[in-house]
Amino acid sequence: MADVTFLDVRRLQAEADAADVVLAMDEDAFRAFYDRTAGALWGYLSRISGDRQVADDLLQESYYRLLKCAVPFESEAHRRNYLYRIATNLVRDARRAPRPLFDAGVELADMPAPEGPAGVEGRADVRRAFGRLKPRERALLWLAYAHGSSHSEIADVLGVKTASIKLLLFRARRKLAATLQR
Amino acid sequence: MNPGNRRLEPEPTDAEIEAIVAEAIAAEAVLARSEAAPPSSAIVWWRAQMRARQEAALAASRPITIVHALAIAAGAGLMLSVIGYALAAVKGSSGWVTGVYQSLAAAAAPLAAVDLTSRWVTLPITAMLVSVLVASVAAYFIFADE
Repeated sequence: MADVTFLDVRRLQAEADAADVVLAMDEDAFRAFYDRTAGALWGYLSRISGDRQVADDLLQESYYRLLKCAVPFESEAHRRNYLYRIATNLVRDARRAPRPLFDAGVELADMPAPEGPAGVEGRADVRRAFGRLKPRERALLWLAYAHGSSHSEIADVLGVKTASIKLLLFRARRKLAATLQR
Repeated sequence: MNPGNRRLEPEPTDAEIEAIVAEAIAAEAVLARSEAAPPSSAIVWWRAQMRARQEAALAASRPITIVHALAIAAGAGLMLSVIGYALAAVKGSSGWVTGVYQSLAAAAAPLAAVDLTSRWVTLPITAMLVSVLVASVAAYFIFADE
């Protein structure tokens, strides 16, 4: 190992400060991808966590981790699924943290709905029912019905076997429907 | 009407349940999209750049800190060994010190009461040297960031 003097140390430190960081995407590609996915990802995060502030924080974190990852993506869909997987893991980690960012049994109905002419009551019912589900069940249903994701895509995002998605979806559907009809 | 004879509501079929759920979530998804106000891509990109740069600088400074710590530890070790050697030399040449003391005693009467080989003299001197060393290390850490 070559000798390192204090002058070398100072120079290396200055170079590290000035160095251009390497991220997984260039700016134009990232901004285009972000514009295509950010709104939907925010919706996913806000409905899974039940908290808009958490959704704001985790949105930024999700994209940062995507930019820092060294995964060679085969397609746009692969990249998007990976982003959702990061987001899902972040929500799970935030819930399990010693000081959770949000409560597991959060009432989505507590989220203030924007002013609308009709159906406010119904929307609150949907949110309340959705809030009674486990976060993984929310994620399953949201990916399946809000995003139209396939079973293999859902399995990829949630990190479970594709074969078990059908049963998990069946149970989550019944639970949500039962809560909605109550 | 006898409650036992009451006809129960028929259970919804799987297809009906799926329709209910799909409709509810689709409506909620439309609402979520209208609520979504994510920061602009430029801001997110800029923040990511800043954070990555900060993390890179932090990672680069980690080995630098280790080099600094090793240098300080080596300096402190050297200083302590010099002090130890000096103390041993003082102890070993106490006869010479006594001779010097006797010759000085005539010139400086107040010093006559001082016994340089006594621990009441060597201990404060050692403590003073150690505190100078500790103070210089502390001063380095205080002003290093600046």
